[in-house]
Amino acid sequence: MSTMPNPPIGPAASAAGNLPQRAWATANGRHRSIVLAYFIAIAMFVITSAFTPGFASPTHIKELLIEASFIGIVGLGQTFVIIGGGVDLSIPYVLCASGIVLTILSGGQNGPLIWVIPVLILLGVLVGLVNGIGIAVLGISPIIMTLGMNVVVQGALLVYLGSRQASRAPPLVVDWTFSSVGPLPINTLIWLGLAVIATVALSWTTFGRRLYAVGTSRIVARFSGVNVVPIMIATYVICAVAAAIAGILYTGFVAQPYLGMGDPYLFASVAAVAVGGAPLIGGSGHYIGTIAGALVLTVLADLLPILNLDPGALQIVYGLTILVTVAAATVRVREGRQ
Amino acid sequence: MNSAEPRTDALARPPGERPSARGSHTFGPTGMSNTLAQWLRSGAALALTPWIILAILVVLYGARQAGVYTINELNIFTGETLTLILISFGQTLVIVSGGIDLSSGGLLSLVTAIAALHFGDGGAQMWWVMAALIIGSTAAGAVNGFLIGVTGMQPFIVTLATSSVFGGAALWVLPTNGGTVPADWSNFGNGAWLGIGTPVWLLLLLALFWLIFKRTRLWFEIRSVGSSQEAAFLSGVPVTRTIVTTYALAGLFACLAALYYITQSESGNPTVGPEYILTSIIAVVLGGTALIGGRGGFGGTIAGAYIPTLIGSVIFIYGIDSNWQALLEGVLLIFAVLLNVLAAFLVRRRSAA
Repeated sequence: MSTMPNPPIGPAASAAGNLPQRAWATANGRHRSIVLAYFIAIAMFVITSAFTPGFASPTHIKELLIEASFIGIVGLGQTFVIIGGGVDLSIPYVLCASGIVLTILSGGQNGPLIWVIPVLILLGVLVGLVNGIGIAVLGISPIIMTLGMNVVVQGALLVYLGSRQASRAPPLVVDWTFSSVGPLPINTLIWLGLAVIATVALSWTTFGRRLYAVGTSRIVARFSGVNVVPIMIATYVICAVAAAIAGILYTGFVAQPYLGMGDPYLFASVAAVAVGGAPLIGGSGHYIGTIAGALVLTVLADLLPILNLDPGALQIVYGLTILVTVAAATVRVREGRQ
Repeated sequence: MNSAEPRTDALARPPGERPSARGSHTFGPTGMSNTLAQWLRSGAALALTPWIILAILVVLYGARQAGVYTINELNIFTGETLTLILISFGQTLVIVSGGIDLSSGGLLSLVTAIAALHFGDGGAQMWWVMAALIIGSTAAGAVNGFLIGVTGMQPFIVTLATSSVFGGAALWVLPTNGGTVPADWSNFGNGAWLGIGTPVWLLLLLALFWLIFKRTRLWFEIRSVGSSQEAAFLSGVPVTRTIVTTYALAGLFACLAALYYITQSESGNPTVGPEYILTSIIAVVLGGTALIGGRGGFGGTIAGAYIPTLIGSVIFIYGIDSNWQALLEGVLLIFAVLLNVLAAFLVRRRSAA
């Protein structure tokens, strides 16, 4: 550094020397953990199917994919938020409200879906905007803001419901779960489509580059000319919209939405991102990893009834999964820095 | 440390001067107005906010009915609020230390479940199980603290994960509400002495404990860790040990909250925890404790804990649909946090000026 003819200008210049090296180390670590996540998913699937007849049958694989798509879609939003250095704990009631309002507005009919689904997505955008503005502009901690938002949405839903009853899901939405195009359920195809968009957005757009920069350091990102606030708000909007979409699809799966149906998806979304190799401190992780995380969690959830374990055990497993994977990622990041 | 302070003070003082002379000098007219201005600027006015909100709610509650300002009414409200107050004590310590505890609700569920299953008919068995639960919960809290302090994971991730573990374990031991609570124990929680209910006595005891606790070295260390871990470390504060102790205390108080809770519910409830996570944070934040750590205390938390209970009652008295309660609580939290952010902003502007 001292032999350089000109003094470095700004933080970017001083970091430029070892940037490629560091980028390689980061990418290498990231890819390694994503590969590991897929390896775990496949290994779990193979081992379970070896001991359980019918686990690897096409019908069951289809069921697994349907279940994975819900975790996968909420995990998509959570991935963006976590890469950006935040977390969204308002997923449960956004998902739940989206499902319940869907059945009430559509009255269980297919016709109104044309305007009901856009309305639900707009509501998701609204929730995400409020979250994002509270966090990025007013400086409220993401945990508190989104935890509060979860209760606000829950309360608004209860007030809206009043004496109304959630009705049955429109047949078309049920169809998305249970009929297939080719070998794949429509539901899974929607997930795949969203996954492609998310992957492209993270890897090959300026938005993606800026998002990683914001998650790594908001201050450095700002000095490098990134407009931090809109990027952060965008992540919460993406997350709330993803939760709303998951709510619509999940309503087709359960046919009759109910209060509290989104609760498991809080832990599931964070766990999926964690299993996917993100250390949950922002600036790293990728949706490709989260997909593997969603697959791992789905196989786990299907494994427990086979082992005669109840839903309580599933929560314990989710919790331990988050702990172990995040601990591993944190240690890796620390080693990377040394 | 405490007993040493006055002595050094006395040594530093010129021999002839008496302490009262110095005291009266400080409290002269100019000193008084200075103190007032300082007090207003110091954010202490913010500490009054929860008490003002509480007073408004109490007046609203009393305006619609006669004879509510009685000891009996205080007994009832404290009875409803003590679980939250106990769990918020731990939450206060954790938030002041710069962390957050999302797992105390899960631990609360787990303890109510185990207690309701294994307390039996009371007597020796109950005391053994209770002792085991207290030790176990403190250890569970210490595990949180260990994971946060030693591995360097973020508090919210660790406690979110352990809340899933504790909540899942609660559902595992007791899938639905059930079990029994020995009559001895529930009589204790619902009893009274000198016309004042056990909950109020317990609250007074807790307040006394707080008055002692806030003079301890531990409280000083918790605050310094919350202000800046690095500065605390460089000043010789054992950061990791402080974090572990703080979360262990949060575990202990979640256990005490659960032990009190079952005297009211008369059964174990494996899913009660989640509602206490948010309300305990509301109580702490409304109480004027800074979410960024380093500042705050349990005094305001007491007022902050009564507020959600009173809102529920006011909603009921005024015949408002009870569905509004959750919405109001969420809005209240965000309002409290905005106050918090505003206070931090004012502090920053003062230090910049």
